[in-house]
Amino acid sequence: MTGVVSLRRGVSARLASPRWRQLRSPLLVAGAVIVGLLVVVAVAAPVLAPYDPRALTGDSLARPSAAHLLGTNAVGQDIVSQLIWGARTSLVIGVVGATLAVTVGALVGVGAGLVGGLADTVITRVIDLFLALPGLPLIVLVAALLGGSRTVVILVVANAGWPQIARTLRSQALTLRERGFVSAARGFGGGGFYVMRRHVVPAMGPVIASRWVDWASVAIFLESGLAFLGLGDPTTISWGQMLDGALNYQGWYIGNLWTWWVLPAGLAITLAVIGFTLIGVGVEQVFNPRWARGS
Amino acid sequence: MAITDVPVQEIALPSVTAGGTGMPRLRRRRLRSILVSYLATLFFIVNLNFFLPRVLPGNALAVMIGGATASRGTSEVSTGARAQLAHYYGFDRPLVAQYGQYMADLAHGDLGTSIHYNTPVRRLMRDRLRWSLLLVVSSMVLATVIGMAAGVHSGWRRGQRLDRGFLGTFVLVGNFPVYVIASFALVVLGVKVHWFPLGGAQTAFVNYGVPGRILDIARHVALPAAVMALQFVFLEYLVMRGGVVSELGSDHLLLGRAKGLRDRRLKYRYAARNALLPVVTVVALNVGAAAGASIFVERIFAYPGLGGLMFDSIGYRDYPAMQGCFLVISLAVLGVNLFTDLLYPRLDPRVGR
Repeated sequence: MTGVVSLRRGVSARLASPRWRQLRSPLLVAGAVIVGLLVVVAVAAPVLAPYDPRALTGDSLARPSAAHLLGTNAVGQDIVSQLIWGARTSLVIGVVGATLAVTVGALVGVGAGLVGGLADTVITRVIDLFLALPGLPLIVLVAALLGGSRTVVILVVANAGWPQIARTLRSQALTLRERGFVSAARGFGGGGFYVMRRHVVPAMGPVIASRWVDWASVAIFLESGLAFLGLGDPTTISWGQMLDGALNYQGWYIGNLWTWWVLPAGLAITLAVIGFTLIGVGVEQVFNPRWARGS
Repeated sequence: MAITDVPVQEIALPSVTAGGTGMPRLRRRRLRSILVSYLATLFFIVNLNFFLPRVLPGNALAVMIGGATASRGTSEVSTGARAQLAHYYGFDRPLVAQYGQYMADLAHGDLGTSIHYNTPVRRLMRDRLRWSLLLVVSSMVLATVIGMAAGVHSGWRRGQRLDRGFLGTFVLVGNFPVYVIASFALVVLGVKVHWFPLGGAQTAFVNYGVPGRILDIARHVALPAAVMALQFVFLEYLVMRGGVVSELGSDHLLLGRAKGLRDRRLKYRYAARNALLPVVTVVALNVGAAAGASIFVERIFAYPGLGGLMFDSIGYRDYPAMQGCFLVISLAVLGVNLFTDLLYPRLDPRVGR
């Protein structure tokens, strides 16, 4: 019993430690505000959006007005509504893609690091092979071959992400393996998977969290990027799709058209990507004391 | 790719020569292991390029016919025509035979025939490779110069306002999606203020003479290269800054200061010089990223490089061209990495001893 109590005390002591108080780092707060906003908009999209994003609700290329705050696109769809619904697409891809990439990466990386031996060597070689591939051209090729539905984009993102994540987490696991509490758990007869789930993965929490946030940002970048290249699913409403639509329209740059058609979508993508990145940098800053020293 | 794995011995031991001739034994072993891993990667990429379109659901022929007919408004392709097409592209042959043909063609440098342009892919790429090279190299030079300069200043004044300002700026700039920056740059700097041409690599049908032509090409590459450099400057800056920061407390710097050397000299000749090495790795990493970014940038600026060709061939569902681009881009990136891996022990004698 005392063990549990002291563990509890340990946790609360850790929460009060300066490290956690540093969570109020400005980067982290800024990132959290941006991502929070994104979540609210994505969840409340049906309430917030003034129109059905697919419905033709105005003239073609209407200027911003009271009825259409950011005007309409070439076929007369409301741009504000598309922006709001686009948040949902980006968020879903970001969250699901990053979760998948981190899950696979963590299982492979931590597994290899803990098991060691021949399995580790083989897995490391495989990871190296994947890391040597040029990321974006491969992603584009696969998306072109499979067609860029939402599922494909998520799978492609996960496939691009897991080797790097596994690489990082493997080296973390290697150092953890030698630590006292892990060998103690092993010594008490804890099985490999148990030790991994109960001791190793929690100890790597911050690293995993920062990887997750990074890949959420990459996933959003890639989803919009693929849509931008015309590889997205034309039936989904997404920011990349909006950009692609605008840039494929002859003369999108004439007059001020781009300020309400291209600019908002571009800024939305940027904001989402940077929001997640800021959280990632913030987490890194808080948990990795070496970061401030720059290496 | 393997640079980070190489154990760096802090103390350079006198080299052990094998049989008294040539390279030190360990260095030779390192060279061999590098070459083996690169050959494995090469084999992997070449195979991936063959198997991806054949393994992924939806066979290439169906997509090809679908893509071709969708644009012409016809809905059905007769079975005869289908078989003829399959035969023409060799899809009716057994996989092993296709594989053998693919490898044999590749060995001859034959990348197949583009469906859309009806030209050998190799010839299509030959003209575009130069432009890609120009774009990537100029953006790399730009990013490296800016990143290193900013990194040295930032690291030298660690924690001060300038450092924090640089850090914040580069984090933000480096995370701007490249296609967003590119579109904004094009519309503002190209369309609104006319500082830069709107696209392409040179002005067509104009005879400027040699100096004028060089200027024209430089004007065309400036904006796309700058946009790409913005993506890469962050990493170069961060590594340079980190290197300088880790030099700050070092003994030789202290000695230099005790000798009364000027600050400038300490900063550039002592701190910055020792921090240069990892930047080489970052440049190689960035070349890989540039290969990806060029697909976006060349699309927006209609730049006639490989990335643009890849984008166009996606639009036409032109698989041979697409795959050719992927293969050539991959091999180029691989080549740059191999070059750095081989160059590194020459720059840093501690590696490979």
